[in-house]
Amino acid sequence: MAQVELKQVRKTYPNGAEAIFGVDMKIDDGELIVFVGPSGCGKSTLLRMVAGLESVTSGEILIGDRLINDVSPSERDVAMVFQNYALYPHMSVRGNMSYGLKNRKMPADEIERRIVDAAKMLKIDQFLDRQPNQLSGGQRQRVAMGRAIVRNPQVFLFDEPLSNLDAKLRVQMRIEIKRLQRRMNVTSIYVTHDQTEAMTLADRLAVINEGQVEQMGAPMELYSNPRTLFVASFIGAPQINLIPVSFDGTHLVNGDLKLAGFSDLPQGTELVLGVRPDVLRVDAGGQFGMNVDLVEQHGGENLIYGSLGGTTTDAGEPLEICLKAAQAMLPAIDDQLTLGFDPDTAFIFRKDTGERLK
Amino acid sequence: MHRSLTQRLFAHAVLLAGVLFLIVPVLLVFAASTQPTSVLVAEGLSLVPGRHGLENFRTILTLQAGFTDQIIATDMLRNSMIVATGIGVATTGLSLLAAYGLVMFRLPPAGAFFWITLATLLLPLESRFITTFQITSYLGLINTHTGMILPAVMVALGTLFFRQLFLSFPGEYIEAARLDGAGPVRFFVDFILPLSRERGGAVFVVSFMIGWNQYLWPLMISTDERHYTLVRGIRLIGQESGPGMALVVLTILPPLLLVILFQRWFLRALEETRDAF
Repeated sequence: MAQVELKQVRKTYPNGAEAIFGVDMKIDDGELIVFVGPSGCGKSTLLRMVAGLESVTSGEILIGDRLINDVSPSERDVAMVFQNYALYPHMSVRGNMSYGLKNRKMPADEIERRIVDAAKMLKIDQFLDRQPNQLSGGQRQRVAMGRAIVRNPQVFLFDEPLSNLDAKLRVQMRIEIKRLQRRMNVTSIYVTHDQTEAMTLADRLAVINEGQVEQMGAPMELYSNPRTLFVASFIGAPQINLIPVSFDGTHLVNGDLKLAGFSDLPQGTELVLGVRPDVLRVDAGGQFGMNVDLVEQHGGENLIYGSLGGTTTDAGEPLEICLKAAQAMLPAIDDQLTLGFDPDTAFIFRKDTGERLK
Repeated sequence: MHRSLTQRLFAHAVLLAGVLFLIVPVLLVFAASTQPTSVLVAEGLSLVPGRHGLENFRTILTLQAGFTDQIIATDMLRNSMIVATGIGVATTGLSLLAAYGLVMFRLPPAGAFFWITLATLLLPLESRFITTFQITSYLGLINTHTGMILPAVMVALGTLFFRQLFLSFPGEYIEAARLDGAGPVRFFVDFILPLSRERGGAVFVVSFMIGWNQYLWPLMISTDERHYTLVRGIRLIGQESGPGMALVVLTILPPLLLVILFQRWFLRALEETRDAF
């Protein structure tokens, strides 16, 4: 177990393409950090740099107090779980789990002890002599985790480990990973593009965008206090409602829509108002008019989609917004709702820089 | 896909015709190897077996033929075995190493090296006999097994075969092995060798058979009768004779056994191996 520290880490590929632009980060002992971001943002590259599978162009990566920039992957004391499981097809489950340990010249009885322990923990002890192609996706995933666990590494690295599983299994494994990580208390970095996975797993999460960390913090901190437009739009499901507006000194304006209750904002700059679907509420005294065009019933709650009265987008269509309401709130298509929200729960961003103003 | 009866009958008729076309000459040879020379000369080939089979085989296994009367079929069999096995082993081993280097260590010129290797397919041994003979002669390999083997090694084809296999290995899985502490040599031994077993078997069988059936090159390179291979020796005994036909059968048998033995691997290598991952 150890802390992981990244200092001004950069990655530039030999063809000149830049992937990572100076990342600073300190991961505490036993912490589970999630790198989350859209595909191509550099989150996997960063993880692979920690693993040693990608070289570090500049900057430093430390595990514990050891600088590992030039240490070979197998000597970094990290274990990785891959998206496609990457099980060795010609080795049994036991062979897969023991391979790394044998290469480390660990005594056979110690290897066997570790395999049995890990297999029990992951409930794969009855599969130890099977070949990977005789296992289901979920079982393969467990074997891949087992292979990482027996190494007893200082750091676990997970590269989108659940994205090949079906939705139900994914939720199940997500919970299991969280439990395992708590129990083993091993510093972990987990990469995903799935914000739900990120929110639910992370002790802290790092939102990565275009090779930079946009914001790092506890999941709820990022949810309720996003520093940029990108973070606000990436974190939270359903996605935050984003309404392009301008400020006329007293109101936020978009077409015929005028919202009072805001002050101290720059005039003549394009702004974006962000309102989460769950802070919107049906309110006769509200300032929004919404024309319902779709209701999704999720069981405990309903998501109501519709167009926002008086607004237009660049394409000339009214803006679409989403409202999260209780199960009992079930409007018909084309119903008109009046919505309101507490201005303190909304965010205001500059459109050009994405910086949050309020 | 559901086919009508006529379609299936037609398909079977085509297949049957193909099988007959391939197998009848072989059956003729087997039948002829049991006939005395006199019958063969008088009546030509027929599918009816005679009673001289054992005698014919005894003749060729003990007959001392050639200019010096020292050459016997068992020597030729041994030579054929050495040459074909040598070509098979060298082709399989060298191509395996070449493909491993080309695919797993992606140095910038790897692509160029591969295409140059592949381009040698356009220059079969027959098209470069004279220069190859010269080089072999400089190296002092005339009348040696090594001289018969080296120029006939088929690295290009084997490399192509193995390269396609290695390219289908997912990268993650090579990376997992790296994290597990497998360096280049260990990865070769623990992963490349076991995973290429079937493909390797196929490459070995193909190159063994091509090596076995070599005629022109061994003819050029060996003046010493002690280095004659079976394919070449048929001429010594005489193709039209009963013992000659028995020798032909002896020549067919080892590659045939090999194909039957390796058949399972052979077919599996041609199927998709990717789903194993």
